[in-house]
Amino acid sequence: MNQGAAVQGVPAPAEKTEPQPLLTLSGVGKRFGEFSALSDIDIAFNAHQAHCLLGENGAGKSTLCNLVFGIHQPTSGVMRLEDAPYAPANPRDAMGHGVAMVHQHFSLINELPVIDNLLIGKKFGRLNRKAEAEKITALATEFGLDLAPFEIVGDLSVGQRQRIEIVKCLMQRPRLLILDEPTAVLLPEEINSLLDVCRRVAESGCAVVMVTHKLAEIARVADRVTVLRGGRAVAHSAEPSNDMDALVRAMISREGGAGDNRNFGVSALPPRNPAPHRGPRPEAMQIDNLSFVDEIGVKRLDSVTLTITEGEIVGVAGVEGNGQSELGSILAGLSRATSGRWFAAGREMTAAKPRQITAAGVGVIPEDRHLVASIGQLSLADNLQLGRMQRFARYGLIDRKDQREAASTLMQRFDVRAPDSQSAFSTLSGGNQQKAVLARELTTPNLRFLLAAHPTRGLDIGAIEAVYTFIRQAADRNTGVLLISSELDELLAVADRIVVFYRGRIIGERPASSDNRDHIGLLMSGKTP
Amino acid sequence: MTMELFVVFLASSIRLAVPLLFAATGEYVSERAGVVNMSVEGMMLTGAFGGALGAAMTGSPFVGLLFAVVFVLPIALLQSVLTNTLRANQVVTGIGINILVLGLTTLGYRQFFGNRSREMITGFNAWSPPLLGDLPVIGPIFHQAGLAYLAVAIIIALAWFISRTGVGVALRAAGEDPHAVAISGVPVIALRHGAVLFTGLMAALGGAFLSIAEIHTFTEGMTRGAGYLAIVAVIFGNWRIWRIVLACLLFGAATALQFQLPAIGVQLPNALLIMMPYLLALLAVAGLVGRQIAPRALAQPFWK
Repeated sequence: MNQGAAVQGVPAPAEKTEPQPLLTLSGVGKRFGEFSALSDIDIAFNAHQAHCLLGENGAGKSTLCNLVFGIHQPTSGVMRLEDAPYAPANPRDAMGHGVAMVHQHFSLINELPVIDNLLIGKKFGRLNRKAEAEKITALATEFGLDLAPFEIVGDLSVGQRQRIEIVKCLMQRPRLLILDEPTAVLLPEEINSLLDVCRRVAESGCAVVMVTHKLAEIARVADRVTVLRGGRAVAHSAEPSNDMDALVRAMISREGGAGDNRNFGVSALPPRNPAPHRGPRPEAMQIDNLSFVDEIGVKRLDSVTLTITEGEIVGVAGVEGNGQSELGSILAGLSRATSGRWFAAGREMTAAKPRQITAAGVGVIPEDRHLVASIGQLSLADNLQLGRMQRFARYGLIDRKDQREAASTLMQRFDVRAPDSQSAFSTLSGGNQQKAVLARELTTPNLRFLLAAHPTRGLDIGAIEAVYTFIRQAADRNTGVLLISSELDELLAVADRIVVFYRGRIIGERPASSDNRDHIGLLMSGKTP
Repeated sequence: MTMELFVVFLASSIRLAVPLLFAATGEYVSERAGVVNMSVEGMMLTGAFGGALGAAMTGSPFVGLLFAVVFVLPIALLQSVLTNTLRANQVVTGIGINILVLGLTTLGYRQFFGNRSREMITGFNAWSPPLLGDLPVIGPIFHQAGLAYLAVAIIIALAWFISRTGVGVALRAAGEDPHAVAISGVPVIALRHGAVLFTGLMAALGGAFLSIAEIHTFTEGMTRGAGYLAIVAVIFGNWRIWRIVLACLLFGAATALQFQLPAIGVQLPNALLIMMPYLLALLAVAGLVGRQIAPRALAQPFWK
């Protein structure tokens, strides 16, 4: 990817005449209960400019958009639209003020033609579809969007549907257009034309706010960039193409993220002393030339090769969306690689089902513990023993007493705190839920390899420390661990070595030492020094 | 079968299909908006009762129609509030309402008609439109109650409304993806309330047709599942208005056969014919007669 290169057909960013702030946020914050999603945000979005919001998952980008679009209301601070106070009560209110948003999830009705989708809520009487279609097509063409007004939405590609969403917003002639991760769903060749459209919209006088975590896009489209981390704006740039390195550092660094105290969880861990060993260690897991192409044809993993030996913790670093999730999903048996093979403890697992993978001694802590790793309505005891209930079977019936005792033992060993083992899993705190998942996965019979994807996401300091203590203990007992995380500091503290993912490939590898932090940061932005 | 007999058969098929046409068209609208109205059976029964009561009390079938509508709307409102505002299970509330209504109309029937239950009430008579009614051979087919022509007019208007107006498109969309519709600034709940009330109106007309245009009296539970048959017609018609109309005519014909077959000397157990529409419906629901594509959000309460 040739960052910073001028994209053909895209006019160069407008000359920096004195930009007029359209929407100003001062001291804006948003709390959800005890959790502070955003604090002290000062930002101005200018008319005629495209402003990118950069940051990792959970950095507060979406929350910020939702505040501006009226989905949530700020708990502190004020917003001003031009010279008037702006406090939208709901999206309709926001739209009334000329603010429009293209959501990550489309709100189109697949069964209806494009034109009907565009007219819902705008026209109530008799529809003259032909005349309306002509008007809308003219508007779309003005911004370089082509539209097939009489096609059924369900027959169109994701990129075409996104264009409809954008046209739907443009029909309101917005003053501020928000796009929430618009490129996440697009094919590489569609991305350019979307960025094209963003520039044209900005040039028409609209303020464009685009959420992304892809650095290459910023250089192409952004007049300004704000980096969010831990709910705070940690860096601004009015010359993004020149400040790329600083932006990456701001995105991943621990400095500046004052609201982000998660790192204390790992700094309390003692340094790791790998157990001394003689001779080569056996392999716990081996990935051989693995590639994955998703259903819309984007190559998410590109020839990844990696070996983890027993007792080794390998960290996977990378800006989110560079293939880590896909790798995790393949190793958990939830999706199948398009090409390449992988092995757990020497046995081929390429086409194995989750049950077979577990039987081979692989523990999995998936990215989304609610969706994949647990059943909220069942008890803690049941969740601790999902997939191995037969162990407690007596003549085909589950011996509940036996099961409860086993659960209590696990709860004690892994410090899972709950009123008792029969509590519904969903009533436990996030930290205790994750410890319970760990307890189950780390007691997988003959555990040889552990996949841990974002095991500390959303946890408090105490729980983070506990999670990593357990993972290290497993490694000390010769389990190989693949740790995927977007928290570079956690990886540096916990792993033995770190591989960096960029665009589905491993573009570099470094021992996990804080001396290598800047180097790894550069690799994450796609630069191989 | 002689030509004359066949024409009689066609005419009675249509006559028997009219109550279904009313109810199924109503049900079509609310299912398109995402609400299953099992209570359409109860609404028809109430309509039949209200129609008979109004006509018997005043001697005017028009007052009967008015009674039918006035009696049914509160029931439609109850169904709508339960399912749209309180988001209760649509099927369960519908069946509950049907049982409630069976009790209420039976009680009302015994109160008001108890001692004159054999009396015929003044109703609508069949009528032949000029020109069409005078056609040779097929003329008798058009000899129908005026309400039948009202049904045809409503269906044509509705088909136009659903496909050619903004509200019609929004209504269809509300049954597919209510969230998307809400984001576009359309009040989904209000739309669904309106759809259920429309079903009530249509079911009232269908029920009243039974009691004051066809049988000219009311008996306990006289709809005998016609409402359910209307729901079946919507499924069999794959949620498309013209196919639903065809399904209703088919069911009407199956019922008419019960009377025709003995007349031409075919001895077939009556029960076999009564069960025909239901058998067809079962096959349709099981997906054996074409593929059924229900609105995506059918029977799902809408949460913001």
